[in-house]
Amino acid sequence: MTALRIGNASGFYGDRLSAMREQLEGGELDVLTGDYLAELTMLILGRDRMKDSSLGYAKTFMRQMEDCLALALDQGVKIVVNAGGLNPEGLARKLDAKVGYVTGDDLRSRFPEALTANAYLGAWEIAECLEQGAQVVVTGRVTDASLVVGPAAAHFGWARDDWDRLAGATVAGHVLECGTQATGGNYSFFTEIDVTRPGFPIAEIDEDGSCLITKHEGTGGAVTVDTVTAQLLYEIGAPEYLGPDVTTHFDTIRLDEHPRGVRISGTKGSPPPETLKVCLNTLGGFRNSATFVLTGLDVEEKAELVKRQLVNAIGEDGLTWTLARTDRPDAETEEQASALLHVMIKTTDPKRAKAFSRSGIELALASYPGFHVTAPPSDGTPFGVYRAAYVPRDEVQAKAVML
Amino acid sequence: MKRPLGTIAGARSGDKGGDANLGVWVRSDAAYEWLNGFLTVEKLKELLPEAGEVSRYELPNLRALNFVLHGLLGDGVASSTRFDPQAKALGEWLRSREAEIPEELL
Repeated sequence: MTALRIGNASGFYGDRLSAMREQLEGGELDVLTGDYLAELTMLILGRDRMKDSSLGYAKTFMRQMEDCLALALDQGVKIVVNAGGLNPEGLARKLDAKVGYVTGDDLRSRFPEALTANAYLGAWEIAECLEQGAQVVVTGRVTDASLVVGPAAAHFGWARDDWDRLAGATVAGHVLECGTQATGGNYSFFTEIDVTRPGFPIAEIDEDGSCLITKHEGTGGAVTVDTVTAQLLYEIGAPEYLGPDVTTHFDTIRLDEHPRGVRISGTKGSPPPETLKVCLNTLGGFRNSATFVLTGLDVEEKAELVKRQLVNAIGEDGLTWTLARTDRPDAETEEQASALLHVMIKTTDPKRAKAFSRSGIELALASYPGFHVTAPPSDGTPFGVYRAAYVPRDEVQAKAVML
Repeated sequence: MKRPLGTIAGARSGDKGGDANLGVWVRSDAAYEWLNGFLTVEKLKELLPEAGEVSRYELPNLRALNFVLHGLLGDGVASSTRFDPQAKALGEWLRSREAEIPEELL
């Protein structure tokens, strides 16, 4: 059985818009995946949904589909993305293709205080959509790696207890989920390769769950043992990597250089935990910030003066101060002569967040010599508080729906 | 020789809720043997004094160590008042810290 070629065209909501077209036109693929969700993104989408209940999905994915859906259908490339965010059905209904979507992750009824509450679902509902002939699969909160595990499981007909195969595909998914972070983006040894415009990664997955990480010929960046190692280390904890599909043992992964990239093999898996992780975001209040530039002599005293003045004006509740001594004595440029005093306010009162910047700017002619700030005052923005919860997996009803 | 750790080690860091993770890897078995002995939790806290509670994991197959810095980011990215609230550059900070690196590894 030949390998299944799975590409990635997005590592976050806001990633390179043209990546989808680059991946479709750059060479052969069977499946194209995209990750659009992060803890913070769920909060952003939650605020979108508050304003308009028909939103709550990644709007950039719609733009990519307007540009590329016909091309993908024409090439027979299946699209699997978590761009549905908080509203997978809403997004699925906007697409003109045979679309399946995954639902059941929304647990707001169980966590009524939360703005968003989403269980991390796994690969099997994605696999079910594909088995039923979906050309596009749209999910909400599934684990990033499940976007790769689902298509591989469907293609090879894996069983739910094929732990090593599922673990191998999870590793492939983990390498792919952050897009160009696998191909030289954000890479410590960036001076050794050309990362001007890194290509997006591809995993060629074999029936046994092992894979070759590669990218289309002629694209920038590099796939080496080092670039892949860097991405394997991203956002992990203990070597037993817990997911809804399988527990993946990162201390069993074997990496080997290959003429077209890096072979990943040897990965062992074991049964997943009995609970699913839930991403909870609640509104925490409002935040605002300012940065005062303190130039030249008496930096500490200048900082003390402006602190005293701002506290006098609005009180010290919720303020966090940081003085960054970026200055140096007898400097040859004005910027090198300057320290930065950051102040942030977090408050439950939006009026106080607004008063903060007004009070800051009212000091402009009444404070330390050389007073200036790095940005104009703003009204402040709401901020979220993230927390994880865990629920028994049999209490979550994940469902694959074909349109 | 006293050199920045990043002369021989790569790193990648990021956020998981209020925790930060920091993976460090090297490129030869000899360098891993040294790193594994050198970069203890105590040494990491000495190099990154902002760290509080730290968990350490060994991944010899990747010639890597993974650290979880608990609570570094407060209530998570959107709420953190910390400089670099997603801990994206934590690894590059560590790489810039100087360490006594055996000459044969340089």
